[in-house]
Amino acid sequence: MARFTLNINGKQRQVDVDPEMPLLWVLRDELDMKGTKFGCGKALCGACTVHLNGAAIRSCVLPVSATVGAQITTIEGLSEDGSHPVQQAWMEVDVPQCGYCQAGQIMTASALLANNPKPNEEEVAAVMSGNLCRCGTYPRIKKAIDRAIELSR
Amino acid sequence: MTTHINRRKFIRVSGLSSAGLLLAFHLPGKNTQESVAEEVELNAYLKISTDGHIQIVAKNPEIGQGVKTSLPMIIAEELEVDWDQIEVVQAGADSRLGAQFAGGSMSVKTNWDALRNAGATAKAMLIQAAANEWKVSNADCYASAGVVYRKGKKKGKPYGDLVVAAAKLEVPKDVPLKAPADYKILGKSIPGVDNLALVTGKPLFGLDARPSGALIAVLQRSPVFGGVVESFDATAALQVPGVVEVVEVKASASKMQNRSSVAVLAKNTWSAMKGRSLLQVKWKVEEGQEESNRRIRSELDKLTNQKGEIELRNDGNVEEAFANAPTVLEATYEVPFLYHATLEPQNYFADVKEDSIYLSGSTQVPGGIPGLASRITGIPVDKITLDQNRNGGGFGRRLTADYAVEAIVLSQQLKQPVQVVWTREDDIHHDFYRPAGMYKFKGALDENGKLRAWHLRSATTSRYLYRGSTESPHTTEVFPDGFPAGFVPNFKMEYSPVATTVPTGAWRAPGHNATCFIDQSFLDELAHAADKDPVKFRLELLGNEDKTMPYADHGGPNYSTKRLRRVIEEAADWGGWWAPPTRFRHRGFAAHFMFGAYVAQVVEIQLDEKNWPIVKHVYAVVDCGILINKSGALAQLEGGIIDGLSAALYGGVKIREGRTKQDNFDTYPLLRYQEAPRIDIQILKSTERPEGLGEMTLPLISAALCNAIFAATGERIRSLPLKDNELYRKSS
Ligand code: FES
Ligand code: FES
Repeated sequence: MARFTLNINGKQRQVDVDPEMPLLWVLRDELDMKGTKFGCGKALCGACTVHLNGAAIRSCVLPVSATVGAQITTIEGLSEDGSHPVQQAWMEVDVPQCGYCQAGQIMTASALLANNPKPNEEEVAAVMSGNLCRCGTYPRIKKAIDRAIELSR
Repeated sequence: MTTHINRRKFIRVSGLSSAGLLLAFHLPGKNTQESVAEEVELNAYLKISTDGHIQIVAKNPEIGQGVKTSLPMIIAEELEVDWDQIEVVQAGADSRLGAQFAGGSMSVKTNWDALRNAGATAKAMLIQAAANEWKVSNADCYASAGVVYRKGKKKGKPYGDLVVAAAKLEVPKDVPLKAPADYKILGKSIPGVDNLALVTGKPLFGLDARPSGALIAVLQRSPVFGGVVESFDATAALQVPGVVEVVEVKASASKMQNRSSVAVLAKNTWSAMKGRSLLQVKWKVEEGQEESNRRIRSELDKLTNQKGEIELRNDGNVEEAFANAPTVLEATYEVPFLYHATLEPQNYFADVKEDSIYLSGSTQVPGGIPGLASRITGIPVDKITLDQNRNGGGFGRRLTADYAVEAIVLSQQLKQPVQVVWTREDDIHHDFYRPAGMYKFKGALDENGKLRAWHLRSATTSRYLYRGSTESPHTTEVFPDGFPAGFVPNFKMEYSPVATTVPTGAWRAPGHNATCFIDQSFLDELAHAADKDPVKFRLELLGNEDKTMPYADHGGPNYSTKRLRRVIEEAADWGGWWAPPTRFRHRGFAAHFMFGAYVAQVVEIQLDEKNWPIVKHVYAVVDCGILINKSGALAQLEGGIIDGLSAALYGGVKIREGRTKQDNFDTYPLLRYQEAPRIDIQILKSTERPEGLGEMTLPLISAALCNAIFAATGERIRSLPLKDNELYRKSS
């Protein structure tokens, strides 16, 4: 066990955990932030995506010890009221089916648009291909990303 | 949708007849002078408070099929309120609401009458209350947007002002229902009621629901199906910080409940997983150590080469027809075991106390779990509370409550609240897979290319046999009344079940996900052999006469050839079927009736340099009766196509040495973003009773896809998934 101070959604949070514990479980079990989802635990599905210094990463394979000093943003911190353009677009297009993958999809898409406000189709596909949606919402995710690009203008 | 933030406290007071009068008092903030509002339950499906707030109950589990939105829409329509006037609340297990489950695409169709009546009855009572107050006949009053008006008068009374009086009235019977032409909510696109909560990361799912203080349990089950714990060593596991206890869980008598296992209980999920990885368990395995796809395949092959165990249909005389026919076609089709892969792994929470139980977690059968818990613990059902949460997918996996039993048993054993969490590996290793099957066809055409005989010998690892059901093992595996049965003068269908230790269960569109592939592929083969256009061939078979065909399976008791013909014709026209193919675009077609709905699809593919199909565009035409939620319906139909495509391209569980050889999404791939085709769907206008749509487009896509591959390459795909098909194994 070890103590860590993490910077999550702009707040300092203290945890006392196994240094190997992936950030995903620190968020969910230690900090009771359940927005970040567990899908595979092996960086294969994207359900656990959060931002680390603005880049989309899979929190299920990132030991908490590796996140010290970094700025972590989770779905809860993207915007609390759903006003972020990606969240807005997701609601407008009515993307979610079961909804379980959507926090990860939104975090991946929002990191992409923050770094590349006008990605072309290939650039979007290259990034979004890392996020599985078992319900098959891909066509709507595509529409929602286009809409988010418009809304961010 | 309004969000009502007032905290409420309920006091149940005696109601009149079945309309319980449920009073609630707002708990005003300490220093405010807020007035007290009463909340009245006019029936089990809705509550109206005297301040005008309206709550409508979502009775069934939300697994992504949209019922948390669509079912309340039906009530709201008849209640005559605007959608933004209401709040949807998820029901817990509540026997007054009838069966609570998600399966067979039945939520809408089986609740249609009850939900309309719930809304219409409440509306009638509110109108009656107003009429009484105004001393006029109720025929002189009407409701609109949550207000009752007297004809000719501008000012009316809102429901909130009428509800206390309404609750004292006798519940009327046979209230009039709205005509579809007057619908204001049904047929519109209403976004999912949880969308805001979902995009802001609220804890909506089973896995999110762990109350603090609960232990997390991660279980080691036998890698070989049916294995039993012989002994275990937990020394290393217990040394992991956070691990609290390691206990054995005995298998239940039913194969559909929990398996023999060792549970590691910890204060957090990571510790439980780590502890589990350090367990040493010795397993005793009595049978099935050698079970494999190869063994099962040879058994399926053997059984489909001989007379079937069950003869399901025998019209005319197929043997004679084959002997005399100028053209006879034979073909063997195969489908693999499929994994459900709900993105949220299985999980369940149970808090078994001395004389009460609290339950929550992801399941498609919330209505059945209190009974299950009662049988296990002896605690009566009325002392058991169950809350429903969203499910991160279902697809049939969560019709089986094996993992819920694990939580109940562990909580009882440890006298502590326990949340059972499955890892992805657990989930793929211990699924109840879609049965594997083999299908041998023989078809005969006459001189004019007319279909004279159809003979199907099928065998599958029947899920009804697996679960030890008393029903025939062919149930949901093959459908003796499915098209083209009844249209071919000589028609025979036989079936044999194969016993295996590999667990099987319902997988989205059970049975149809295999039979539509084989039937619609073989019809395509016959059409080509007859030198006829595949769509024309189907239409010719159906004939021009409008017939009602008997259909004894789910979705029956019959189906209409008129409606089937219509989706076929519309899809062909709309999907550009009649235009000649281009060098880059090849088309495939399929049509199917299931669960009461009619679907036809045109698929357009392009081949890459290895002849692998890139699916460019899918057109689907659907007749599902009255449409409830347009956006939700389209989402289901799109999702079904993608799900079916994913299974056709990549699905397939590898069984060797009595166990599943894949562990995660690297070895069990699913379709990804860039592979999703463009999808266009047309839902035909209808005033027929609504049918579900969660499963209806799925079965067609594999057939339409493989028919398109044939059109493009002349190669016939008869075995799925595509990635393991000889055609692609050779070329890669
Ligand atoms: S849970 Fe992290 S990628 Fe799947
Ligand atoms: S919406 Fe269910 S997994 Fe994506």
